[in-house]
Amino acid sequence: MDVRHQDTEDISNSAVKNDVPAEGPLPSPFQSQTENSQLPGILNYKLRYTLSGHTLSISSLKFSPDGSIIASSGADKLVKIWDTDSGEIIRTFSGHSEGISDVAWSGDGEYLASASDDKTIMIWSMELGTSVKTLIGHTNFVFCLNYNPNSNLLVSGGFDETVRVWDVARAKSLKVLPAHSDPVTAVSFNHDGTLIVSCAMDGLIRIWDADSGQCLKTLVDDDNPICSHVKFSPNSKFVLASTQDSTIRLWNYHTSRCVKTYTGHVNRTYCILTCFSQGKYIISGSEDAKIFIWDLQTRQVLQVLEGHRDVVLAVAAHPKRSIIASASMEKDLTIRLWYDREF
Amino acid sequence: MNESLISPFNITHPTAVQTSLFASALFARFDPSGRYVGAGRNNGAAAIWDLETRAPVRWLEGHVKAVTSLDWSRNSRWVLTSSKDWNVIIWDLASQCDPLQRHATIRFDAPVLSASFHPRNSNIVLALMSTGEAYLADLRKEHRSRVELCEILDDSEDDGHNKNRSAMTVARFDPSGKHIFIGTSSGSVLVFNTRTKIMVARHKITGAGGMKGFDFVKSGRRLITNSSDRTLRQFNLPHYPPPNPNGEYLEQELEPTHRFNDPINKTAWYAMSYSPDGEWLAGGAADPATHKIYIWDISNDGQFASALDGGREPLVHLHWHPNKSSIASTTNHGNILIWHCPNPERWGAFAGGFEEVDENVEYEEKEDEFDIEDEEELLKRKMKQEEEEVDVDTLTEDAAHRNLLADGTQLDDEDITWADDDAERDTKEFKMKIFMQEDSDML
Repeated sequence: MDVRHQDTEDISNSAVKNDVPAEGPLPSPFQSQTENSQLPGILNYKLRYTLSGHTLSISSLKFSPDGSIIASSGADKLVKIWDTDSGEIIRTFSGHSEGISDVAWSGDGEYLASASDDKTIMIWSMELGTSVKTLIGHTNFVFCLNYNPNSNLLVSGGFDETVRVWDVARAKSLKVLPAHSDPVTAVSFNHDGTLIVSCAMDGLIRIWDADSGQCLKTLVDDDNPICSHVKFSPNSKFVLASTQDSTIRLWNYHTSRCVKTYTGHVNRTYCILTCFSQGKYIISGSEDAKIFIWDLQTRQVLQVLEGHRDVVLAVAAHPKRSIIASASMEKDLTIRLWYDREF
Repeated sequence: MNESLISPFNITHPTAVQTSLFASALFARFDPSGRYVGAGRNNGAAAIWDLETRAPVRWLEGHVKAVTSLDWSRNSRWVLTSSKDWNVIIWDLASQCDPLQRHATIRFDAPVLSASFHPRNSNIVLALMSTGEAYLADLRKEHRSRVELCEILDDSEDDGHNKNRSAMTVARFDPSGKHIFIGTSSGSVLVFNTRTKIMVARHKITGAGGMKGFDFVKSGRRLITNSSDRTLRQFNLPHYPPPNPNGEYLEQELEPTHRFNDPINKTAWYAMSYSPDGEWLAGGAADPATHKIYIWDISNDGQFASALDGGREPLVHLHWHPNKSSIASTTNHGNILIWHCPNPERWGAFAGGFEEVDENVEYEEKEDEFDIEDEEELLKRKMKQEEEEVDVDTLTEDAAHRNLLADGTQLDDEDITWADDDAERDTKEFKMKIFMQEDSDML
C-alpha cells in the first residue's frame, strides 16, 4: 500500500465514539447493577461507535475468529479492517476491479477472502498486508464465500449459478457443482466441514456432501420465495435461512421441517445477512434501516436497534462478547458497533 | 456429520479407487483423524498429504536413506519417521518453518526397520533394528532412558550362550500402549510390559514361520499376524498378568480363530489392516503382476468378501482409514491409491419433499389430508409446534475427537498412568496451519 493511500485513509476513515444518548448521564455502576437484576435477559444494546470510510454501499461485515477485528467490504471495491475495541481503521485492501459482495475469515484469522463482481476471489494476508492469491474460475459475479473449519478449502457461489470448492493454498478449483438455476446467494460449510449448504434466488436450499459433491437434500418452502441467506447452526443440526418474504426460518434439515419462524423485519429486495448470537439470539438487518434481535426459542423480538438511515444489509455478532456490528447502504455508508451493557 | 444423510446401508468396505496421489511413496499411513496421509520415500524424504485438497502440505526432509516407517501421535501433531540411515526423527507439524525442521533425532546403532509412538505419549518411542533387536526409548525428562527388550529364555535349554535367542522381526504397541508385541524369526509372539520392559508372555505359533507383521483391532482384544508361511492368522488375546518380580511369564500356545490365505495362487501378504470397527480385514497381496486387495468379513465368520483390483501396478503396502470405509494402498511405482465406497447419486435429493422408494408403495390417503382447514387454525397449530425448544449449540462429538480425550477406562491402572505423565502435548487439539504454495509447485 502506498503512502498516499495511507494518508487519505487518516482523513476519510473515522470512528465516532457515540456517547450515551439523550436520556441523561451514565448510570452509576451500582444503579446499572440493580437495573440488570430487575430485568434479567432483556437486551440493552447501545450504539458505541459509528465508523465511516466506505464510499459506496457496504455489502458484508465479519468479525475475525477471535473477535478482535472486523472486516467490511463494499461496492467501492475495498476491504477495510477495523479494531473492535477502539473502532479505529487498521487497514484498507484494494485490488479488486469491481465491487465486493462478501468476505470470509480463515479459522486462524490469518487470511481474509473476498468475493467480487470482477469474477475473482482474492485472499489477503493479515501478516503481509497484501493479497497472496487470486482464485479465477467463476464466469460471472462471485456473490458469497466461506472457509471450511480447517481453512484449507474455500466454498464460493455466484451469478454463474455454480458452487465452487477451492484449494486455497494452490488457488486451484477442486469442484464445480452445478448447484442452482439462479444466482447463488449464500454458501457455507458445517462445523466439521463434511457438509455444504447453499441457497439461491431459485428459492431452494441444498445440502451437499463436501467430499463427493453429491446433493444430499433440498429444502423448499411452499411459495418458493427468493432465498437471501443460509447458514448452519453452531452444532450443524439446523440451517437458518432468510427469504425475501420478510421471514427467517430455522429448518431441521433431517426431517425437512421448519422448527422456528422469525418475523417483524422487512426483507423483499436485498440479500440480507442473518446470524446467530451466543446460541440464544437471532440477529438480522432490515430494509426499514433497523436491526432486529429475536429470542431464538420464543421467537419474540427482544430489541430493535435504530439509527441507520438506509437498508441494513450486513450484521455480524461477536463470537464471544455481546457486540453487534451492522452496516448500511448508499444513504448512510456507516458501520455501527452496538454494545450490550458492556462498558 | 454427513453420515446421517447418507443411507447407512452403504457403509461397508471400500470398493473403488477414488483418487491416486503421485507421491513416489514406499508406504502411506493415515493420521488418527483420517484427514492426512504420511508417505515415506526411498530417497529419505517423507511427505504429509492433505486428503481434502489431495496435495502435499508438508515435506519432512531429514533422512539420507530410505524411510522405513512413519507414525502419528494421537492428536496428529507429531510425526516420527524411521530410516535405514540408523535414525528416528520426530517432527512437529505445529512448527511454522517451511520446510519443516526436525524436532528431535534418536540415533541407533543399526538401520531402523520400524518405529512407533506410544499410543498415549509421543515421548515414548519403540524402535526395531534390522539386526533383530527392539528398543524402547523414553524421551521424558523424568524417565529418560533407552532399554533393549530382551526375551527371557528357558533355563532348561540354557547351555551357556544365548544361541536360542531369535531375531525380532516385528515390534508394535497394542492399542492401549500397555503391552508391546514382538514377533520373532522363529515364529513366536513375545509380549512385554511397557512400563517395566519385562516379558510377560510368549506365544508359540505353530507352523507360522518368521513373523512379518501385526495389526490390532481398536479394542486390542484381537491380533492378526502375517508370517512367512503366507497365512494371516487372527487370535483372541488372553488377559496378561501384571509383571512378575521373579521373572515368571505366561508360556502359552495360541490357536488362531481364523486363518486367511490365498488357496489358489498361494500369494504372500505385504500388509493387512482391520477396518475401524474390526468387522472387516483387508489383505494386500504380494502379487508381482497385479494390485490386489482381499477383503474378509470378520463379522460373518471370516468369509472372503471381495477382491479389489487396483490395476497393473503391484501393491506394496496398505492401511485402512481410522474411521471411514476407505483404504490407502501404495503401488510399487510409488502411487497412493485412496479407495472409497461410492454412494449412488440420489437424484431425488434435488427435489424438495421428494422421497425415493425401492419398491412401489400403495399410498394411503390420510383421513384429513384434503380437508380444508381454517387458515387461522393452521397458523395457530404451526405456532404451537414452534414452541418446542431446539438445541442449536450442543455438538455430538465425533469419533475422531473422542479418540483424543482420555477414554476413561482403567485410569487407575499403573501401566496406563505411567505413560500419561508428561503427555499434555498429545492431548491438546491441533490444527495444521495453512501455508500458501508458490505457483511453481514443488513435486
